[in-house]
Amino acid sequence: MALTKKEVEKIAGLARLELSEEEKEKFADDLSSVLGYVQKLSEVDIKKVEPITGGTSLESVTRKDDETKCVSDSQMREQILSASPNREDDYFKVPSIFE
Amino acid sequence: MNLNKLTIKEAHKLLGRKEITSVELVMAHFDEIKKKDKDIHVFLSLNEEGAMVAAKKVDERIAKGEPIEMLAGIPASIKDNILIRGIKTTAASKILENYIAPYDATVIKKLKEEEAIFIGKTNMDEFAMGSSTENSGFGPTKNPVNLERVPGGSSGGSAAAVKAGFSVYALGSDTGGSIRQPAGFCGAVGFKPTYGAVSRHGLIAMASSLDQIGPIARNVDDAAAVFETIRGKDELDSTSVAMEWQDYWGSPLDIEKIKIGVPREYFIHGLNPEIEKNIKSVISKLEKEGAKIEEISLPYSEWALATYYIIMPAEVSANLARFDGIKYGYSTINKEEKLQNLFDVYLKSRGEGFGAEARRRIMLGTYILSAGYYDAYYTRAQKVRRLIKQDFDRAFKEVDAIITPTSPTTAFKFGEKTQDPLSMYLADIYTVSVNLAGIPGISIPAKEVAGLPVGLQLIGKNFDDVKLLKIAKIIETISK
Repeated sequence: MALTKKEVEKIAGLARLELSEEEKEKFADDLSSVLGYVQKLSEVDIKKVEPITGGTSLESVTRKDDETKCVSDSQMREQILSASPNREDDYFKVPSIFE
Repeated sequence: MNLNKLTIKEAHKLLGRKEITSVELVMAHFDEIKKKDKDIHVFLSLNEEGAMVAAKKVDERIAKGEPIEMLAGIPASIKDNILIRGIKTTAASKILENYIAPYDATVIKKLKEEEAIFIGKTNMDEFAMGSSTENSGFGPTKNPVNLERVPGGSSGGSAAAVKAGFSVYALGSDTGGSIRQPAGFCGAVGFKPTYGAVSRHGLIAMASSLDQIGPIARNVDDAAAVFETIRGKDELDSTSVAMEWQDYWGSPLDIEKIKIGVPREYFIHGLNPEIEKNIKSVISKLEKEGAKIEEISLPYSEWALATYYIIMPAEVSANLARFDGIKYGYSTINKEEKLQNLFDVYLKSRGEGFGAEARRRIMLGTYILSAGYYDAYYTRAQKVRRLIKQDFDRAFKEVDAIITPTSPTTAFKFGEKTQDPLSMYLADIYTVSVNLAGIPGISIPAKEVAGLPVGLQLIGKNFDDVKLLKIAKIIETISK
């Protein structure tokens, strides 16, 4: 299982990661070696096995959509907003996405 | 009296009898940190002022004759992926270098209710990805037992803090062994509770179906005391479970009624023969004391690490998508004169903000989850994960606990495994199955090999955490 540099570029794009040329080569090797290792799973007969989909057997856990449970005071609201690197008033500001 | 080697119980007793004050206890720990942490590098940030204020408050209560909680006034250190409001929380990543937590993790809230004292935030592998702390964005932690060796990881700072006398206990997180392995490497007790026993609200998520918070402490009693405080259902973590827990402090288990399984797959090539000898000698001792020992088989163990290295990076790639240079953390958005487009902000903020291992795992997960590969990797791994879980279900019909080494080696040297990621991943070979199965595991110190600590891992049944702790306590007692 050897990944090409081109495949690494594609994955990096999907993952929104900028890589240097050097890193692309290095990651092609690293990822190939890990993917080669996990190929081991093809040895296991999984024909009649259902996949596990999480860490517990709990199903459909819900709670009331009550933001005061998370944001308990106005100071916290302010702290959350001010963590933004590009805040304007009460908004997170992003570059325009329409031409 | 050495205030830096006390257990929780001892410290609690001394505080209650007014033989020491919490302020003295806290000061003794900061003194030790100032003396030794230049060399060990446990802390990413210290909370000296906050700790002193909290300690004074506890002392006032004691002076008034009020009874205090078990953890009140006792210094704890907290892994830096657990949020304490108003304190910097970085997960040892440059992408969160200046992030101040705006709220408390549920475990922190619970510790605050007991008036625990937070000494500082401990170093770790970036986003808990690693087995040595060498992946920290801020430089590695050294093993207090031998400064040329790694403390293990990813909760290496927390384990080192307990060993070095910088705090009485610590919190870590364990996704594939990140509490147990460093505890083993540093000669401490490290406990990963059952998945769902402790809320992860306020833990910076790595792999959500595997992550669990737990204590690192000087003995099993202390680990149990911390566990009692932090466990419980929490509305803000929908995977947490409401349980009627057994009482740990009641009568000890009768050793003659305990059945321990020894999985043959865990005692194979790759295991340091000296470690094997020490673990086996504990097993014979148990047998001599009357416990029933049974060889068992966990046939799918061989595929656990490969399963883990599919499921974990897949979940990592999803969880770390939140670091986008917009809401918080490192961003290039204001860096360049000319207006960038949003895609470039993502690419550059994430490319520059994440370290090599984080990027490696994000890419691995992205690949595994991408169209055309999802079933071949992810679905297949989720199926093998079920087989691994069934191995344990079967075993626990026969035995009360399973005994294994925590790691195949003792603490390794810096740089030994950093060039080849796969060799680093193998450090977790005995611990990852426990996370995949969601069951509890604890590492307790066994006899050292060549002056380096050895961890003995004990694995229990789902939500049998208290029984597991009780069996661990028996082993701790007979090993002395």
